[in-house]
Amino acid sequence: MKPPAIALTGIVKHYRMGEEDIPALKGVDLSVPAGAFVAVRGPSGSGKSTLLNICGLIDGFDAGSYRLAGEDVGGLDETARTLIRRRRIGFIFQSYNLVPVMSVRDNVAYPLLLNEVPDAEARARVDAILDQVGLAGLAERRPDQLSGGQRQRVAIARALVKSPTLVIADEPTANLDTATAGQVVDLMKTLGARHGATFLIATHDDRMTAHCDEVRGLTDGVLQ
Amino acid sequence: MNALRLAWLNVLRNRRRSLVTILIAGVGCAAVLVAGGFALYTYEALEDGAAREFGHLTVARPDYFARDEETPMQYGMDGYRALAEKLEQDPRVRRVLPRLQLSGLISNGDKSMVFVGSGADIRAEAEARGPFLQVVEGTIDKVGLTEGNPLFGTGGTAVLLGVDLARSLGAHPGSGLTLLATTTTGGMNAIDVEVAAVVSTGWRELDKRLIHVDLATGQRLLMTDRVGSLSVYLADTALTAAARAELAAADSAHAYKPWWDQAFYYHSVRALYNRIFGLLGLIIAALVFFSVANTLAMAVVERTREIGTLRAMGALPAEIVAQFVREGALIGFTGAAVGTLAAGAVILVLPTLGLEMPPPPGRSVGYPLLVNASLPLTLIANGAIVALCAVAAWFVSRHAAQKPIVEALGHV
Repeated sequence: MKPPAIALTGIVKHYRMGEEDIPALKGVDLSVPAGAFVAVRGPSGSGKSTLLNICGLIDGFDAGSYRLAGEDVGGLDETARTLIRRRRIGFIFQSYNLVPVMSVRDNVAYPLLLNEVPDAEARARVDAILDQVGLAGLAERRPDQLSGGQRQRVAIARALVKSPTLVIADEPTANLDTATAGQVVDLMKTLGARHGATFLIATHDDRMTAHCDEVRGLTDGVLQ
Repeated sequence: MNALRLAWLNVLRNRRRSLVTILIAGVGCAAVLVAGGFALYTYEALEDGAAREFGHLTVARPDYFARDEETPMQYGMDGYRALAEKLEQDPRVRRVLPRLQLSGLISNGDKSMVFVGSGADIRAEAEARGPFLQVVEGTIDKVGLTEGNPLFGTGGTAVLLGVDLARSLGAHPGSGLTLLATTTTGGMNAIDVEVAAVVSTGWRELDKRLIHVDLATGQRLLMTDRVGSLSVYLADTALTAAARAELAAADSAHAYKPWWDQAFYYHSVRALYNRIFGLLGLIIAALVFFSVANTLAMAVVERTREIGTLRAMGALPAEIVAQFVREGALIGFTGAAVGTLAAGAVILVLPTLGLEMPPPPGRSVGYPLLVNASLPLTLIANGAIVALCAVAAWFVSRHAAQKPIVEALGHV
């Protein structure tokens, strides 16, 4: 039996604002099965982004434990966490966060460049994923020549091109209109299933949560 | 996409800003190449001048260089003709010229002045050294200065006078003067001479005291058959060290001094220029460094969120820094290329303009403003500019690359 993609136990996270200690997560337990499409919803300031940052290994925590696909990643140093992100975690951001000087193809290929995938293989994988997100004809365009929906498709392709274990998506539909958001959610779910990736999504968009296998509420740092 | 192409695309993000930075790097590179090339031209001209003045090698008895003479020609050479003939058989040797140094009084009957000068075969000197005297009045060719010439040879009485000495004595070509000097035995001797030409060396202090007579006249004045030294002119200045080593090894009776051991002015100017141009280079380096650092610091701030994104995707801080270093190096490389082209244009155009530098302190004539092209200097300057820009990029990007990812992603 596969271990959970994410297994958080008693995660506590505080932020310091001057002399003040602000709790962001208060003992969060979360288990996300491999291949699941899970949303965390909650109001602004509830700790959604903090939880996703911890799961994506871009932020640490003060107490608790975190096992990523069965591996304890809580005590790893920054370099080890970076290398795990490089190989096993994809990110989709609300504002797409594409590199403006790179073409669509180059943006999608960047994770493969980091992973030192040979050029021919990288090109084939990029072509395939661009075809899957419906951007095969726009590969040489730059992000500023694309619509918001197309940009988010590029971001999805970039997150999935390395076939990650986990994809962290922070409000991926917040900047999109209703029709486009629906298409993006469908695409994420379809490709997630095809690539065997686990999705952890922060959202307060009902169109998003309707497609999720599980929706967890987060209020004031406490997971419901 | 390879990393260099990405770096170039990043350089092109803000074209105007990058262009200004590239131009600053280019101007810096061109300034180093032109200033350095001018220094190299000056060194070369001074080396050439020193070698022409002293000969590539000066051969004399060891004591001639090591000790002060109590009487003239005390450490002079007796059998110099045989040694000169022997040296001239070496294929590297172009000419061997015997010389003796003179000092004493020169008088027009009413007024006496101190003179310093030399006795040498002036025609041969001119052939070996090229034009080393500017004839102000009279003519060297007309009177003839070769030994044996009935008008100005062995037993002749012609003299060349420094322009300021001639002015002091009111002498002109054809004027009769008397030379008075201490002889090799410690007595005094006087001979009458006739001014053949008034000349200038370009050195004002020297022109106030200078006389040239032919070798035989000089020997007659000192009442000696000796000469002070032999000046050896080689086919190429670059042969000096090797020729000196071999000739000295074969002749233990004499000392062989290379031109650079006697070229004190050359060494002084070189030391001065090295400091001046070294300081100029440091100032240029600082300007380029801070300009590139400023440009890339702005780029780093603007791209903080992108840095966070790349870090989130798995780029190590060192890889982020390396990306900025590549961008800095590209700016430097492009600037260096622009600067090298600009310097090349200056080097090509300068000779056509005929510009002159003002006379240096102590001299009465200027010298041409020319700049040497030097491959080593070009490589060093280009490498330094690229390295400076790369270091500036490293300097400004290292902190941003270490910034917490969450903080970087939240940068607005």
